Amino acid sequence: MNQACPAPAAEKGGKTGKFLRQILKSDKIGLLLALAVIVIVFQVLTGNKYFTPANITNIMIAMSVVGLVTIGESFLLITGKVDLSPGSVAAFSGVLVANLLNTGMNMYLAIGIVVAVGMVIGMINALLVNKLKLEAFIATLATMSIFRGLGYIICGGKSVFITNGDYLKFGAGRILDIPIPVLLFLVLFIVFMVVLARTRFGRSIYMVGGNPTASRLTGINSQKLLVILFMLTAAFSALGGCIMTARMSSGQPMSCEGLEFDAVTAAVLGGVAMLGGVGTLGGALIGLLIMQGFNNGLMMLNVPSFWQTVSRGLLLIAALSFDYVRNRKSKLKNA
Amino acid sequence: MSSLEFRAITKSFPGVRALDDVSFSAMGGQVVALVGENGAGKSTLLKVLGGDYQPDSGEYLIDGARRHFREPREAIEAGVSIIYQERQVVPFLSVAENIFMEGIPAGKTHLIDFKALNRMAQRIIDEFRLPFHATDRVRDLSVAHQQMIEIMKAYRRNPKIIAFDEPTASLSDAEIETLFSIIGQLRQKGIIILYVSHRMKEIFQISDEVVILKDGKFVGQYKTRDTDELSIIQKMVGRNLGDIFKELRRNDDIGGPVLEVKHLNADNVKDVSFTLKAGEVVGFAGLVGAGRTETMRAIFGADKRKSGEVLVSGKPVDIDAPEDAIRLGIALCPEDRKEQGIVAKRSVCDNISMAVMPTLCKGGFINFQKEKALAYEGVKELNIKTPSVEKPIGELSGGNQQKTILARWLALEPRILILDEPTKGIDVGSKSEIYQIICDMAKRGIGVIMVSSELPEILGVCDRIVVMCQGRITGELPRAEATEHNVLMLAMRDMLGGNCQ
Repeated sequence: MNQACPAPAAEKGGKTGKFLRQILKSDKIGLLLALAVIVIVFQVLTGNKYFTPANITNIMIAMSVVGLVTIGESFLLITGKVDLSPGSVAAFSGVLVANLLNTGMNMYLAIGIVVAVGMVIGMINALLVNKLKLEAFIATLATMSIFRGLGYIICGGKSVFITNGDYLKFGAGRILDIPIPVLLFLVLFIVFMVVLARTRFGRSIYMVGGNPTASRLTGINSQKLLVILFMLTAAFSALGGCIMTARMSSGQPMSCEGLEFDAVTAAVLGGVAMLGGVGTLGGALIGLLIMQGFNNGLMMLNVPSFWQTVSRGLLLIAALSFDYVRNRKSKLKNA
Repeated sequence: MSSLEFRAITKSFPGVRALDDVSFSAMGGQVVALVGENGAGKSTLLKVLGGDYQPDSGEYLIDGARRHFREPREAIEAGVSIIYQERQVVPFLSVAENIFMEGIPAGKTHLIDFKALNRMAQRIIDEFRLPFHATDRVRDLSVAHQQMIEIMKAYRRNPKIIAFDEPTASLSDAEIETLFSIIGQLRQKGIIILYVSHRMKEIFQISDEVVILKDGKFVGQYKTRDTDELSIIQKMVGRNLGDIFKELRRNDDIGGPVLEVKHLNADNVKDVSFTLKAGEVVGFAGLVGAGRTETMRAIFGADKRKSGEVLVSGKPVDIDAPEDAIRLGIALCPEDRKEQGIVAKRSVCDNISMAVMPTLCKGGFINFQKEKALAYEGVKELNIKTPSVEKPIGELSGGNQQKTILARWLALEPRILILDEPTKGIDVGSKSEIYQIICDMAKRGIGVIMVSSELPEILGVCDRIVVMCQGRITGELPRAEATEHNVLMLAMRDMLGGNCQ
């Protein structure tokens, strides 16, 4: 242990060999196994109807909205914050976009406006946290309530139906045989995966989450970072709300309830630490797949939806206890 | 008569062996002082005894019986009370409720019997003749009295052993007297008292025996009256500190001013002016709370300045935030390494590259090769002992963490390097390495400021010593004229002659 570091050359090896070793050594191995077990079990129980291109597409469509929110929520969790408003912002945005479309507005303009409004909401969240020094939990609990309410107010509590045919394609159409929501989610997910892992911006997310004081003293502006992250999360929520609206062909003020908790669940399942400083989007993606794969499987087996909710909680507990046991083992090894 | 014996206690943490084969014993009615440098293992030993840590091997015996406490509750039940540095009181509850914390008397109805509670608490308070009341709220008491409450709480449990961890760290002289008279009373009742402190004066005042630890190892156990301060220090340090400083290769080539501070005012900083030259090491001495840390933070932009001017290389600059200071080539290595320095969960590499990230990026993307190379360079240059640069910094020893933080700032190639308590809580070996690093930096023409509460290192390393007291500079001494005596006279001017003004 008490040797100086080996030279960098010692770390090089065959590229494929290194990749395989990394996967095996990675702390994601347990999660990947869990995912494999879920796939195999449901494949058997549904009589080979589970792991098919059609059903995988279903799963991906179902997770596209929560997946978008998971990007922002993971970033916030890594900085040690959380945003509870995405569900409300998505519902509010859905109603808003439906209203805008019904005035005959161009759909791209409407989506642009709604996403911009989302960014403003994110800015409000960040201001509450940065300037009023509120806990993110409390600040976004407040905005969650405010925008859920405003959503009801701007539509008078009733669903707003959409007649714009082009917009409905946004929810159901395909490019290269991939549903547009899935394409949007995957592209954005990959982009932000790279941002988190390979850019200075991504690095500062980890550093601020690991030690905000030390980060500040090394010249990282954590307030600015939080503004960007809250804006990002709210923008993704707004975009998610637009997708949801297109899929349901109406803006519904009561929709997307608990969206933020699904996103947090997925992120935490994927190894993002609630205390900050730790986690990857790759992990969060596996978390999303486990969560939605499990839900979808239960649906195919006709398990009542109430039990699906119960089982999601059980899944989270199971995953985290597994994590706890593994962490303890590795700690014992280190000591 | 109760007795306590440690037999070959060993406890390791990732990267350090905190306790290594420590054995000694103590008898009831004695005050046994545990002394050693920071990181010698004193607090770890108390935590093992208190059931907070589990030893890797070895055992401890109380009254001749082998014990093993898996958690603090078991230790308390067996009559072991530890009084930690940090207060463990509930501020919004009364004195009586705090004293009886887990043993609050309840009547037949299971409701708290406040009458009995207050009567029992008052009896204990009176026994020690303390000037507060059972029904007082703890929040309203002084820090010293809050500590007394913890002692009362320990005493109420009829303990065999009470261990104190640096109990006088935040007490005034008068309060220390009160504490010592209480410890004297506890000793008379036949309780074994372990007393961790690094203040020599107190040890000779209160203890019957001294146990010396060094780097986790037991050095010796002596009757206090048969030993003296100098020989204890020599055994604690293991070598003569004076030699370390004589061996330093110092910089003699001092250039023009790199940092000029004029009439700086901030919280606890009053009209501070000084100059730092290239290649010079300037020490800031003073008592805790003298305003040295605040001065440095104000210069660095970490805290707000009220007024005053800062010149870097002769040009007036406007520093509002740490990033401004960093851009100007000013580095600040903060006082509290754990809270303000390291990002514990991240790798040595990430921690080194932190402050120079902009130079390692192109279009926002990190050049990982460049980053790694930088980290390897730092690890090699500063002799950081780590199995790999990917190791989380939190798993390294204190000395290696500090060297990593130094590597972080040296990567910036600063003009001005401010070090706040750079050797706090690290072992002697790393300390002497850090002294040499400081001198090497001066040789490169960097102006270095070293804030330290350890006078020997200030006197041994610095070219010039600025002394502060109550937010003001009370004097400046060149190396040749500085002695412990005249630095202390300046540092305590408020106590000697009214106030600093």
